[in-house]
Parts: sequence; structure tokens; C-alpha cells
Amino acid sequence: MTPATATELIDDIGGLLLFTMILILGAGQVYRAIYAVAAQSVFLGIAGAVLAAATGNPDLWVIAAITIAIKAIALPWLLLRVVKQIEVRLEIDAVIPISMTLVIAGAIVVLSFYLAASLGAVRQSITGDALPVGVALMLLGVLVMVSRRKALTQMVGLFAAENGIFFTAMAVSQGMPLIIEIGVILDVILGALVMGILVLRVRSSVDADIADLEELRG
Amino acid sequence: MSGGFASGALASLLAARWPRLAIRLGHLGVLVGAIAGGATAIDVLADPSAPALRIELPRLMPLAQLALRVDSLSAFFLLVISLVAAAAAIYGPAYLEAHGAMGRGRAGAHVLALGVFVGSMSLLCCAGDALSFLVLWEAMTLASYALVVSETHRDENVHAGLLYIVMAHIGTALIAFVFVTLAELGNGTDFDVLRTAGHGLPDGVRSGLFFAAFAGFGVKAGVVPLHVWLPHAHPAAPSHVSALMSGVMLKVAVYGMLRFAFDLLAPGGSPLPASWGWTVLALGTLSAVIGVLYALQQHDLKRLLAFHSVENVGIILMGSGLAMLLVHRGDSANRLATLALAAALLHTLNHASFKGLLFLGAGAVVCRTHVRNLEDLGGLARRMPWTSGLFLLGAVAISALPPLNGFVSEWMTFQALLGGGSQVGGGGGLFSVFAASMLALTGGLAAACFVKAFGATFLGRPRSVHAEAAIEVPRSMICGMLGLALACVALGVVPGYAMALLDGPTSSLVGGPGASAVVTARGPLVLSSVGGAGFGAAIFMPAIAILCVALGIAAWIMRAWPRRPARRSAPTWTCGFTPTSRFDYSATAFAKPLRLIFALLYRPRRQVERENPDSPYIIKRMRYHGDVVDLAETAVYHRFQNAITSVAGAIRARSTGRIHGYIGYVLITLLIVLLLFGKA
Repeated sequence: MTPATATELIDDIGGLLLFTMILILGAGQVYRAIYAVAAQSVFLGIAGAVLAAATGNPDLWVIAAITIAIKAIALPWLLLRVVKQIEVRLEIDAVIPISMTLVIAGAIVVLSFYLAASLGAVRQSITGDALPVGVALMLLGVLVMVSRRKALTQMVGLFAAENGIFFTAMAVSQGMPLIIEIGVILDVILGALVMGILVLRVRSSVDADIADLEELRG
Repeated sequence: MSGGFASGALASLLAARWPRLAIRLGHLGVLVGAIAGGATAIDVLADPSAPALRIELPRLMPLAQLALRVDSLSAFFLLVISLVAAAAAIYGPAYLEAHGAMGRGRAGAHVLALGVFVGSMSLLCCAGDALSFLVLWEAMTLASYALVVSETHRDENVHAGLLYIVMAHIGTALIAFVFVTLAELGNGTDFDVLRTAGHGLPDGVRSGLFFAAFAGFGVKAGVVPLHVWLPHAHPAAPSHVSALMSGVMLKVAVYGMLRFAFDLLAPGGSPLPASWGWTVLALGTLSAVIGVLYALQQHDLKRLLAFHSVENVGIILMGSGLAMLLVHRGDSANRLATLALAAALLHTLNHASFKGLLFLGAGAVVCRTHVRNLEDLGGLARRMPWTSGLFLLGAVAISALPPLNGFVSEWMTFQALLGGGSQVGGGGGLFSVFAASMLALTGGLAAACFVKAFGATFLGRPRSVHAEAAIEVPRSMICGMLGLALACVALGVVPGYAMALLDGPTSSLVGGPGASAVVTARGPLVLSSVGGAGFGAAIFMPAIAILCVALGIAAWIMRAWPRRPARRSAPTWTCGFTPTSRFDYSATAFAKPLRLIFALLYRPRRQVERENPDSPYIIKRMRYHGDVVDLAETAVYHRFQNAITSVAGAIRARSTGRIHGYIGYVLITLLIVLLLFGKA
């Protein structure tokens, strides 16, 4: 694969990642957001594979495989299982209305492209416009965590932010070292497990959502 | 020396099972340490020309070389500490056994804290680098905090301790800031390195650092706007610890100020910035007057003494401030600076001895009567003759009456201030003379205050059953007080010998001839100053002492002599009532005229409840309640406290407890930071 095709492909994948992000933000129901984040992780894995093919870095192949296996398959499956088990209203509980969130998201994307324009020196030629996309994904992931009330959707936001960090790392330094990447993914798995168990436990013992725990404030 | 304190502290731990043994051993350790410290100090002071004693400690920490360094200034303060510590160590065991039912663990903890407290104070004065200074400073603060709250069954003690530790740490933070700044400039922590760094500073930075250090030490010393913790914390501790805190711990702060002003931050050989001296002089004057005015209105014996510490620190600062103003500004000014500094240092020693004596005396009263309120005492002179005599001696000394030591140092301060007035000239000179007049006012008010304190405590008739049942304290407690009383008399009658001790510190800080060359021109017994232009009135202190004794004998003879007319003793006519102790002049009544004069400052509150059930003209019972507020506490600290509370309330109202809310704050911060700094 020539570098030029790789750049083109990664730019295209960046567009797709942003599109899935918009889907996550605009999703009206929990399971849609989960599917969207799974799709995003698949695209991210493909981006990793493209970069691996272009640079010949064997670590990137491993990372791409792990990303697809864990973030695109295992974790969404876990989240969907939790959704099924607690059988709650599947609507997203938005703190900020969805349309408003989308407007803010647009502003954030513009901001990250504007900021990245001054960071030309950091960018690699091969990854093209990946840096602003990565920064935007990360900020939008945090925005999801801010604007949604349910613990499950906050978890989705965390995954999206993590995807953004991964993509940023790819943009500036061909991905983080393998050991760090594996560590980060383990963190995310652990977070998802803890969150899943907590949601189920709280549901089964006091019949309340995690978000209702704020009532306990003194 | 440190071995004594350490062994005392450790012995207390080992002996924690036997409280009496723990207390005895612990105090014995402190005594041994104090004697060793005093011996070291005198050894250094006796030979002012010898180089400073320096002990390198083993490198315990990889960061810096710790060192102890005893120069003459350190040695002088070490002497002050050792004097009071020795007296307190003799006094302590009997006091603790008589006063408090000390439990097992508590006795051990108490003695441990005492050992750490005295030990860290002594070593603090000898610290030779910033790191050990700060560590010992903190150890001193924490140990004294532990002692303040050692009687935890009283809520006010816990409150006092909290106030103390918060304020003390604000002070520590400021001192640490100054040290760290200097250490960074000099790239080392040793005092020699810091001094070299300090000499080369630009004037603005130098003054900034000095004022930070002054504020930091001022909190500990109880300089007036920063004194609010002191009247709460000092009385809360056991009495011999109060004596140490009031008599000595404040002095350690003074040591810090002098060390910074004349040594570490001084621009080697050239005059100090004028703003330093004026600030210190003005705040010293303020502290002296305010301290004594509030002391007058206190009816808690130990609190009254604590306010007097504020006053006396003010007097010490007046001398130090004047010395800062005059140092290195010509030969005659320098001699005046030596006089002023000698006065300040001598007052440090004097105040330690008489305030220690007074606190120990107050402790003797408290341990026999278990009350501190002056209105519940009275008539103790007959029941506790030794205590009352020694307390009277201390009261005379603190009131700056000849022939005792308080007079000597205040007289020297007067001379320095008046001489400084003519030396500086202009508005500044006028202020210096004004400060002298304020010092006179302070002395007068202090005398009034101690007439009140002594009269209400020891004279008249007992006003409560506690006072009636009081008996003399054990011999060891009297011995402790007696030692300090002897120091008061000796320093008063033969001040010339004390001047010889001051030679080293004054000549090393100010330069030029030492204190004894400036102050005692004619032999060790005569107090005379050749400092100012035309000031040279000589006072032969023993003559004054003999005169006073002779006057006393004469008065006694005059009273005893004319026995010719038959004496008939009969009760005072009291309008048909049976005279009771409530007819006596009370402390509140004594202080009333001054409360009216200074009402603007005191903002007195009084509340009178009358019970007149049948007719408005027949009063069954009356209840009077009056108090004065500490203006600094209400006007500054309460406002500050309210501001903090309202800010905290606002933060609390903004904390939603929702996790996405908090993430939202993070996101907003992140975006703002990106906008501000993201554009390279």
C-alpha cells in the first residue's frame, strides 16, 4: 500500500468515525448508541490495520485486532446484555436536549479543526487530517458523558473518548507502544465490568438507576 | 543536651504504665537537657570572639546536610529557653499530680509532647540550615498543640487548639516560602548559603521576603493583628506549659525575626530598608498598648497573663524595630542601635523570667482552687504565703518598677527611643518619641492591671469555697518559682552582668562595640548609657534596691511604731448588714474606669437582670454579665470567617452531586484551556 492511498483511506475513515460519533450523539435509544460505538470501533480497527500495512509496524496489527475483538464485539455485547437484563425504558435520558447537543458538537468539531491547523508540525504526512478528528472524537465522547444521564450511555461516551485518544495517538506517533495500548484497553474493560455489575446490583437491590443516587447528596 | 530531652521523652514512653514515674522521669530529662543547654549557651556567650560552634549532623536524608550552629544570638535565646524550661521541669511533676488526674496513656503522651516541645525549641535556636529549622519549627508547633489540647474534656480547649494550629500553619507557610525562595536563589539550604543569597537581593524582593517572614513569625509571636489565637491557646495548656509557651515560644519567633532581619536578609554592612524598622516599631507599639488594654479587662487569671505576653512582645519589637532603623547609619546611630537591641534582648530574657514566674504562680493558684476567674478567688495571701509573695515579685517586675528586671530593660528601651527621636529627627523622630510615651502608658496600665490581678487573687476575703479551702503548694513547685524569682532580682539589681552576656549578640548583629561598652560605662552594677547625644544618666541599681528595701523597712517601722493610742478593733460599719466577701472590691469594678475611658476600643457589653417579683423597688436578686470584645477578632477575623463560609456555601450549592455535572465542569475547563493555550 502506498503512503498516498493510506493517507486517503485514513482521511475517509476519519470522516466515518465522525459520522458514527454524530450517530452516538443523536441516538434516541440506548441500543442504537451501543451499535454506533461498536461500528466506530470497527472503523478504528480498520484504520489501525491500514496504518500497519502502510508502515509495516507489526504492533499496529495486534492493536487493530484487539480493538476489533474487544471494543467492537465484547464490550458492546456486555452493554447490550445489561440493557436486556434491567429491561428499562430504552430511551436516552438527556440532560441537554439532543438537538442542542448536536449544535455544541458541531462547534467542538470546528474548534478542533481550527486548533489543529496551528499544529502542522506535529502531524505525520501519512495520517493526514487524523489529529483534529481524534481531538474532536475525544471531546465529543466527554460531551456524551456530560449530556446523558444514564450510566450506560456514559459508558458509551467513555468508549468514544477512548477511541478518540487512540486515533490521536495514531495521528501523531503511529499509535502508542503496545504495552500501553493493552493497559488502556484493560482499563476500559475493567471500567465496563464494574459499571455493568454496579448497574445490575443497584437495580436488583434498591430498584433505582445509578443516576438516582444523586438523591443521596447531603 | 538533646540527649536529655530525648531520654526524657523516651523514658516517658517506656514508663507509660506508671504515670507518676513517667512524669518524674520526663521532667527530669527536660531538666537535664535545660541545664546542658544553659551551660552550652553560657559557654558560647562568655567568649564573644570565639567562632560559632558548628555540629554537622549525619546525613540522614539525601536532600541536604543538616547542621547545628550555635552563634552568640542562638546561644542567648538558648539561655532564655533553658532558664524557663529548668524552672518548669522542677515545677511540673507536682503540678500535674496535684492538678489533673492524669491517666496512664495521657501522662506518657503529655510528657512526650513536653520533651519534644522543649527539645525542638532549644534546637530550633541552634539550627544551622533551613531544612532543620523548618522541621523543628513544625515539631514545636505540633508538640505545643498537643499540650494545648491535653485537657480535652473542655470544649474551649479543643476550639483554642484548632484556632492555634490553623494560624500557626499559616505562619509556617509564610516562613517556608521565604526559606524556599532563598534556598532556590542560593542553591542550598545552609544558613551560610542563604546569607550569601540574601546579600545580593534587589531591594524590592528583599523587603517582600522580610515582610513575609515578619508576618510568619508575627503569628507565632502574637503581634497585634495576628494575636487572636494567643489568649485562647496559652491559658488552655497546663500552667507550666503556658509559662513555656508565653515565656519562651514567643521568643523563638522573635529569634526568627532577628535572624532574618539582621542576618539572613541583611544587605551586609549597609543600612536596612527604613520601612522595616518603622513597621516593626509601629506594630510593636500597637501590640504593647492593645495587649495591656485588653489584659486589663480580662478576669481569667491566665488569659490576663496571656494578653500581657502580647504587650511584652510589643515592647521587645519596639526595641528591635528601633535597632533596625538605626543600624549602620553612622557611628552614634549605631551605638543607639546597640542600645535598642540590647534593651530588646534583655527584655526578652526578663520577660521570660517574670512571665514564667507569673504563670507558675497562676498555676499554683489554679491547682489549689481549680478556678481561674478572678472573681472567684481572693484572700489567698494568708493561705498561700509563698505563692503570693512570689507572684507579687513577678507583678512588680512586669509592671516595670525598680529595682526589678522589668524596669531595667524598659528604661533602656525608653532611653533608646528618646535618643532615637533626636537622632532621626523630623516626623520619624516625633513618632519615636510618641512610641516612648506609649511605652510609658503601657507601663502604667500594666501596673494598674497587676494591682487588680494581685489584689483580686490574693487580698481581701475569699469569694468562693474553692478559694477558702486553698492550701500552700508543694515545695517543688515553690522551688521552680523561686528560681525564676531569683533571676528577676539578679537581673534587676546587677544588670551590668547581664550586659556582658549581650556583648556577643549585639556586636555580631549590629557591629561595633558590644552592649556592655555602650550601656554600662562604669562597672557591672551601674546602669548607664553613653548611646545618645547627651543621654547618660547613670543609675546604680543596687542603690535603688537598698533604697526600696529601706523604704519598706521605714514604712513598716512607721506603722508599727506609734502604738501609744489604744487600738480597738471592731468590724467595719456596713449599714446594718453582716459584711460578706461580696462587699470586696471586685476585679470588674476595679477595671471599670478604664473600661469607660476606652469604650471605643472595648465595645463593652453589659447585661443586668433583676428579679423583682413583688414590687419594682424591691430587688430580690440581680445578675450582672459584662464582657468586652477583641476588636481584631470581631472586626477582621469574624468577617474573614464569614467570607470563607459564604464561599463554601456557594461551592456547595454548585456541587450537584451528579456525575455528568462534574464531567461537564471538566469539559468546560478543557475547552477553555484549549482556546487559551491550544493556539501555538
